[in-house]
Amino acid sequence: MRVNFTLNGNRVEVDVEPNEILLDTLRLRLGVKSVKRGCERGECGACTVLVNGKPAVSCLLLTVQVDGSEITTVEGLYSDHLFGELVEEFSKNFAVQCGYCTPAMLLTAYAFLNEALRKLLKPSKEDIVKAIEGNLCRCGTYPRVVRAITEVLERKLGKYG
Amino acid sequence: MYYKLPKIDYYRPKTLDEAIRLLREIDNSRVIAGGTDLLVDMKTSRVRVRALVDISSIPDLRGIEDLGRTIRIGAATRLQELIESNVVSQNLPLLKAAVESMGSWQIRNMATIGGNLCNASPAADTAPPLLAYDAEFVVIGSEGLRVIPSTKFFVGYRKTALNPCEILKEILVKKSEWSGWSYVKLGRRGGFTLSVVAVAVLAKVIDGVVYDVRIALNSVAPVPIRAYKAEEVVRGKRVSWSLIEEAANTVAGEVTPIDDVRSTSWYRREMSYQLAKDALAKALGVA
Amino acid sequence: MIVVEDPRTLIRRWLSAESCIVVGKSIERSDSLEKALGRARFVEDYLEEGYLFARLALAKAPHARIKKIDYSKALEDPKVLRVFTYRDIPGENQVGYAVPDQPLLAEGKVRYYGEAVAVVVGKDPDSVNSAVENVFLEIEPLPALFDPLEAMERGDILIHESLGSNIAFRTKVRKGDVEEGFSKADVVVENTYRTHHQEHVYLEPEAALAIPDLENRMTVIATIQYPHLGQKIVSKVLGLPSSYIKIIAPYIGGGFGGKDDEGPLVAARAALAAYHLRRPVLLYYTREDSIQTHPKREATVIKYKSGASKDGKLTAIEVTIIHDSGAYANRGPFILWRATMHASGPYYVPNAKVDGYCVYTNKVPQGSFRGFGNPSVQFAAESQMDQLAEKLGLDPVEFRLNNMLRVGSDTITGQVLTSSVGIHEALKKLSAVSNWRVKRLEYSERRTGRTRRGIGVAVAWHGNSTSRAVPDWSNSYIHISRDGSVNVYTGIVEMGQGSPSSSHRQLVSEILGCPIDKVKVVFGTTDAPDTGATHASRGTSVGAIGIVVAAGRIRSRLESFLSEYYNVQREEIKISDGVVIVGNKIKMSWEELVALAYSKGVDLSATGYFFLPKGTFDDDAGRGFAYPAFSFIAIIVEVEVDIYTGRVKVLEVHPALAIGRVINPDAVKTQVEGAIIQGIGYTLMEKLVFADDGRIVNDNLTDYVIPTSHETPVIRNAIFVEDVWDYGPFGAKGVGEMAFIPMPAAIANAVSHALGVRITELPLTPEKVYSITKQLVG
Repeated sequence: MRVNFTLNGNRVEVDVEPNEILLDTLRLRLGVKSVKRGCERGECGACTVLVNGKPAVSCLLLTVQVDGSEITTVEGLYSDHLFGELVEEFSKNFAVQCGYCTPAMLLTAYAFLNEALRKLLKPSKEDIVKAIEGNLCRCGTYPRVVRAITEVLERKLGKYG
Repeated sequence: MYYKLPKIDYYRPKTLDEAIRLLREIDNSRVIAGGTDLLVDMKTSRVRVRALVDISSIPDLRGIEDLGRTIRIGAATRLQELIESNVVSQNLPLLKAAVESMGSWQIRNMATIGGNLCNASPAADTAPPLLAYDAEFVVIGSEGLRVIPSTKFFVGYRKTALNPCEILKEILVKKSEWSGWSYVKLGRRGGFTLSVVAVAVLAKVIDGVVYDVRIALNSVAPVPIRAYKAEEVVRGKRVSWSLIEEAANTVAGEVTPIDDVRSTSWYRREMSYQLAKDALAKALGVA
Repeated sequence: MIVVEDPRTLIRRWLSAESCIVVGKSIERSDSLEKALGRARFVEDYLEEGYLFARLALAKAPHARIKKIDYSKALEDPKVLRVFTYRDIPGENQVGYAVPDQPLLAEGKVRYYGEAVAVVVGKDPDSVNSAVENVFLEIEPLPALFDPLEAMERGDILIHESLGSNIAFRTKVRKGDVEEGFSKADVVVENTYRTHHQEHVYLEPEAALAIPDLENRMTVIATIQYPHLGQKIVSKVLGLPSSYIKIIAPYIGGGFGGKDDEGPLVAARAALAAYHLRRPVLLYYTREDSIQTHPKREATVIKYKSGASKDGKLTAIEVTIIHDSGAYANRGPFILWRATMHASGPYYVPNAKVDGYCVYTNKVPQGSFRGFGNPSVQFAAESQMDQLAEKLGLDPVEFRLNNMLRVGSDTITGQVLTSSVGIHEALKKLSAVSNWRVKRLEYSERRTGRTRRGIGVAVAWHGNSTSRAVPDWSNSYIHISRDGSVNVYTGIVEMGQGSPSSSHRQLVSEILGCPIDKVKVVFGTTDAPDTGATHASRGTSVGAIGIVVAAGRIRSRLESFLSEYYNVQREEIKISDGVVIVGNKIKMSWEELVALAYSKGVDLSATGYFFLPKGTFDDDAGRGFAYPAFSFIAIIVEVEVDIYTGRVKVLEVHPALAIGRVINPDAVKTQVEGAIIQGIGYTLMEKLVFADDGRIVNDNLTDYVIPTSHETPVIRNAIFVEDVWDYGPFGAKGVGEMAFIPMPAAIANAVSHALGVRITELPLTPEKVYSITKQLVG
């Protein structure tokens, strides 16, 4: 089946069998290496992509299901200012260890930040923790990731008490 | 890539009629909406199908509406949309609380309320609130529409009252004034977790007397259940700790849990009691 | 002016370095950005069009004689090219690390459900996946053993017949006279402790990409923690000289020990396929394959008796450690060694008798996992310490301090510690900072109501390097290019710990005096000298000694050259932060120095080899040298227990470490935090469930749960006591495993403080805790 979607701002057309999983289309056909295979059943979040701006796990999406959607991976955010700030904070706060979960973690964090900034509502620490609950990190960078997200939020929306 | 997903045909009908026709005409076809349960089941060969009918873009199946006396939720509404809906948070706070405890943000962006119900897992988290609200499920097939009460929807382990070619169209919940509600869920970790036991309670307490109460649980029987006997214990009585304990004891007698990787049946029964106490206390306003 | 090339002199010189530019600072890791941007490549990211795919066929019986491996049906699919079994191995089908008991692919027998039987290769994953299901094992079933206590008694069912017993390995330690020791004891505590398996769940499952004929040799890109060991195993399996094998460990998505055991095997299986097919092959494990087949943290039964006198001194310990080794010894004997040597905890004990048994069962093998046998034995030892303190009416911290090892103490193996023992100071500081005494009292007095608070302490020690006299060394090669950029070659891999991207660069920059951004570390390759494995917390502590030596040599050459060039004493030359100062004058930049040195014939390439000096251990007597140095940690944990559900929540964790010089404080803290979270998972929620046939029931991430962001407690800033180690890089000791080791004990001690009841079996799942608190509820 022919499937059209936008990948990181570029229109792509692929011809796939209906049983092809988006994770495979991205990694094997389109060379998007930042999207990682971890558990293939939606539990680890390493294959997270943004579908129309919202995080989703690409291991549980048929490619045919995203026809007409906008798919974003970190490769599409290199020139995005907010993403750049977030990456800076990840690095400064040592929120990256092995790095396997990192691009997916960043996508979730980025979508979360975008939503908070759009609503101009400052999320609580618990909201941040909950937002990233679907991105497992076995190295245990969670406290660092929360700190990195917090620092970006503080810069945009004011200090946490 | 590394799980073999069998060869399938895929259809994305634009209308309900078309979807029903496809389901009727194609042998061994099945509805897909969010796919977060179904694709895992297909990858692990727990479910074998030949064709998928994707109903996620049928407009009739989407949306949350306040119809005045009733709230209508389209079956293909994503879980995250429920959480973010003002209609849901104002009218169905119990449902919102249950949905917030489900999956991860990623999963909630994909999974639908209808999918959670039709998958009919004993651990389905949307079920206890809807059982408690006495929701009605509108299903559609080639014979037309019919309404199944939520309490008649789950007929056995992973089995629903849907006929093979029927589709869950929407969920209707009558508005009602509840004085208290609670969703108490115990999982194996702090979040993104399947329930070991969860208890939903709705209560209408007037001047310290329980005018009405609904108690529902998941993961304690082959299907999500209502604890009718316990409701009877409470209904019409004056709120007290001993009443709550008696009711919770009754709940523990109503459940028929099993052993699995998440828990033993012993612990589930014990937790039915403990969680029911917590849930009742909160809903009855004594916590 | 003499050039110093002697390793010991160089190590000593930098040990005493005081004012540092980058060492001791939280310099950002050099790999964060490429990882964040998705540019860091992991094994599967090297896949190219046209490569073949391979997957393992795993045994579906726990113990059986193999009559036939029938894969004819698998080959009916034209896209399936070959199925390889033990028959196809050109070299030796023997990959046991400690004892020669393990085939690469099952031969004669299968000994656990999930054992690798065949490698199925095809043109696409779908065909391979179907083919795997069409590999049939005709077997004669044998009775299986799953309980190590039963297995060690049974002589009629043998998992490895030639051994004549199911005991794979024994260890022992003897010191003084335990009977006399117990006769002097005023209190004695005796318990049996049980600990369970743990699955690594590195987010990246195992994979290996074997490419034949690249650079005229077999190149394997693999998830592996020790490239040179992979080289040795691949060479043995293929029957080729090591020089024909090149192993690359690219970025690795978590290892935690698991890829130390399975890494060489996944590499060898991929190489076997590529060797026969003469085409690149990617061997991948699904998550389920990974969980079923790769070794796990050991499950143990530990019988522990210990005594103390009224004055609060330990008098004796008697310990029996039984490790459920699973079907193969793997690294079990080494793990048991470590457990045995550390059985006392970091205390002076005059009389000790410790016996260890590594016992075969028909389960998945035990293997390396952060802490390596130590978390389980410290759980037992530290649970004992709390109970002894209680019987003596002493505060647990006081009692520990009373018995703590100090410089000059001898350990249970009789090894005298001559330096680098900072644990006493660490625990003292920790106790003050965490407000231990007040909270301990406060929570003791508040043992009522539904939620109970508890505060617990545990300390741990961990020998640096391999156990006993097993040889250990460090090695590296450094080359400076004409533009002043520096390449460092090391066999240490990068799997999250960050040594190549942080501490290694800092050390080189500090020693050479060059700007840190000039330093590029080429890691995880057999093109570097054999540096030993990235395990045992040795990535920096041992792994970087060679870097200190190599960089120190080049530095010395440069100083010698400059002193001759300017005709000044060596002391007048400073090379620091990219600037060369002679006397008080800035003479040139780093780049100018390198250009000048090149033009004048100074050799700017050097290797740095250092062989760790060790004593001897007498196996028969159970006495002698155990480790060249020990790292130490103390942890205080606060918990809340809901007695109505049995749920334990870890609220706060206070760590204090005595790990020698801290090269990069933030990098160390990330290791501490990560280990704490992993330790919480192990202690509270992670548990493998085995079916009656030894199959792991929860072989996926829905059913095997690990901590999410929700399980993160407040982790206080770590206290560091910099008790430098004479041979460590600037005095650094190992850290990666440390915080995991005391976590089970610290949580268990806190829970028993909260409840007033002791639990001796892990994990502390809500269900298990509730089975005890139900009585408290009434």
